[in-house]
Amino acid sequence: MAGNILEIRDLRKNFGAYQALKGVSLDVAQGEFIALVGPSGCGKTTLLKHIAGFEEPNSGSIAIDGQQMLGVPAAARPTSMVFQKLALFPHMTVADNIGFPLKLRKVDAATIAKRVMAMIELMQLKPEYLSRFPRQLSGGEQQRVALARSMISEPKLLLLDEPLSALDVKLKKVLQAELKRLHRSVGVTFVHVTHDLEEAIMLADRICVMRAGEILQMGGPNDIYYRPADSFVAGFIGDTNLIPVEIAENNASGAMLRAPGLHATDPRVPAGFVAADLGTGPALLMVRPELMSPLVPGESADFSIEVTITEVFCKGGTVQFRSIMADGAPVIFELPGASRQPADIGDKVRLGWPKRDIYVFREKVAA
Amino acid sequence: MSGEIDRSWRDPELLAKALPSVILQTGFFLAPLLMTMALTFQRTKNFQLTWTWSLETWTDIFTKPHYWTILGHTLFMAITCVVLCLLIAFPVAYALATRLRAYQNHVKVLITFAFLTDATLKTFGWVLFLDKNGAANYIARLTGFEGDAVNILFTDWATMLGMVYNLLSFAIFTIYLSIDAIDRSLILAAYDAGASKFRAFWEVTLPLARPGIWAASVLIFLLAVGVFLEPKVLGGGKSPMSAELIRQTFETRVNWPLGAALTLVLMVVAVFIVLLFNRIYSLKRHMGPI
Repeated sequence: MAGNILEIRDLRKNFGAYQALKGVSLDVAQGEFIALVGPSGCGKTTLLKHIAGFEEPNSGSIAIDGQQMLGVPAAARPTSMVFQKLALFPHMTVADNIGFPLKLRKVDAATIAKRVMAMIELMQLKPEYLSRFPRQLSGGEQQRVALARSMISEPKLLLLDEPLSALDVKLKKVLQAELKRLHRSVGVTFVHVTHDLEEAIMLADRICVMRAGEILQMGGPNDIYYRPADSFVAGFIGDTNLIPVEIAENNASGAMLRAPGLHATDPRVPAGFVAADLGTGPALLMVRPELMSPLVPGESADFSIEVTITEVFCKGGTVQFRSIMADGAPVIFELPGASRQPADIGDKVRLGWPKRDIYVFREKVAA
Repeated sequence: MSGEIDRSWRDPELLAKALPSVILQTGFFLAPLLMTMALTFQRTKNFQLTWTWSLETWTDIFTKPHYWTILGHTLFMAITCVVLCLLIAFPVAYALATRLRAYQNHVKVLITFAFLTDATLKTFGWVLFLDKNGAANYIARLTGFEGDAVNILFTDWATMLGMVYNLLSFAIFTIYLSIDAIDRSLILAAYDAGASKFRAFWEVTLPLARPGIWAASVLIFLLAVGVFLEPKVLGGGKSPMSAELIRQTFETRVNWPLGAALTLVLMVVAVFIVLLFNRIYSLKRHMGPI
C-alpha cells in the first residue's frame, strides 16, 4: 500500500520460551496518530522497541517509509522515542539535551542554537530554562524537554512509550492536549503506547488494542468504544453493561435476542449491531451506561429491564447509578447531573434504551 | 550544578544533637595532629626525646634533598598507581555492570575474596611468584624463554605490581557502583538520538561514571601514598617510599621529631594534591559536558 509510513508484517519475537509477539501486522499512514493499547505484558512496548530498533524480531519485517528496517540499528532509523522515564541526560543542560541529536549529526553550533530555540517556542518552554539541568524542572517541563529532544531531528515516526503514565491526573490532561496540538501542528506520525484506553480514545486517530502478543482489534475511537471485538476490549474503557443473551436466530436481516428479564418491543437486532463473527448461542449485549434511562410508568422503549438501585455516585456532570437485576446481574447507568436526584438507593426502576449504539458480540476469547 | 541548596545543617536542634560527636571526633583527630606538630619542634639527644623547642628538624628537612627525592618518588608511584588502577578497573567495572550481568554476583564474590585476603599474605605470594626460581620463571621457561625472563623482583616494577594488585578492588567497586547506577534508558536514548556505541559511551556513560572514577582516584591516591608493605617486600627496600621512611625514622633511627615532620609534609602535600584535582574537577563540572 502506498502512503504508509510504517508497515509491519507478521512480526514474531520470543524471549526464551515466552512469545512476546505472535505475528503482528500493522499499517500506519503518514501523519496518523496511532495508539497501541493493552494491559501490561501484552507486547505493546516490545512492538515499539522493535520499531525503534532496540530489539530485533525472530521473524517478520518492519518497513519505514518503504525502507526495510531489519538489521538497521536504532541510531540509523528515522524514528525517535520519548521514553517512559523520559531519559533526559542528567549531566547536560536543557539546551544540550534538546540539541544532542543535532550535535550527533554534526550540525554547526549556530544552527543547533537556532533550532533548539524554535523547539523551546514550539513546546512553550521559557528560554531561561535552556541553561538549567533537567532535575531543576518540574515533571511537566521535563516532559516538554523530552518531546523537544525527540522532535528536533525531525523524525518520520515519533514513538511514545507511556510518557504520561507517571504524571498526576491534572498535568496528564494538560499534556494530552499538548500532544494533540503538537501532532496537528507538526504533522509527524505518532505511535503512542499506553495502558490507558481512555487516553488512546482521546488522542488517537486509530487504536490498536493488543493482548498477549497479538492485535485484538484495530479501529477508530468510535469502533473501539461502540464496536469492541469482545468483552475484554469492551471492559477496557469506562464502565459498560454486558447483559448475557441467547441468540436464537442470526441471519442477514439481524439477530433474535432472548434473555430472562429483558423486555423488547421487537427482539430483532439489525445486522449492523451484531458482530460479524457471531453465530447463534450465548452472546453479550453491550449497552453503555449513558444510553440507559429510567422509564415512567406506561412509557415503553425498544429494550427495557427492571433493576433495584444499590449505589449512587455523584460525578458532577453526571450521576452514576449502580443497580442489580432480579437475577443479581449488575447494571450501571448514568444520567446527566441534576440538583434533584431522580432516584435513590433501594428504588426499583424500569430502565429503557433505544435500538441504537448497542452491540451484540461474543464473550472474551481465551487468550 | 546549582540545585536547591540544602540548608538543613543550619537547623540549631540538629547542630546541638551532633555536637558531642563533633567534639569527640575533632578532639581525637585534632589533638594527635597538634601533638605531632608540637613534636616537630623538639630535639633528640642519644635517641632520647628532649623537650626543648628548636627549628633543627625543619632546617634539616628543608636542606636535605634526600627527603624530597623520596617524597617525589612516592608521589610519582602513587599517581602512576592511580592511573594504572583506573585503566584496569574501568573496563572490568564496565563489563561487570553491562556485559557480565549474568555472572555479576560470582565475579563480585571473587573480587571480595581477593579483597579480604590479608595484603601481607598476597604481597609475599607475589614474592614467591616473581622469584628467580618462582612460578613466573617456571612458566616462562616452559613457554620457551631463556634464563630468568621474569626478573623484576626487588625493583620498582614489582612494587608497582603489588600496589596496583592490592588497591585494584577499591577502584573496581567504586567505579562499578557508578556505572551500575546509570539508567539503561539513557543509553538507549543516546542510540535513539543517533549516537554510535562509542559516542553513547563517550557522551553519556563516561560523564555519568565520572563521580565514581573521581572517588576511586582519590581513594587510591591516598592509600597509595601511604603504602609501606609493597616497597619493602616486593621492592626490597631499595628505594623506600615516604611511609617506609617515616616508619624507619620513628623505629630504627628513633628520631621522633623528624618522623613527625616527615608525616606532616606527606600529609600536607597529599591533601594539597587532592584539593588541586578537586578544583579542576569542579571547574570541569561547571563548564558542563565536554
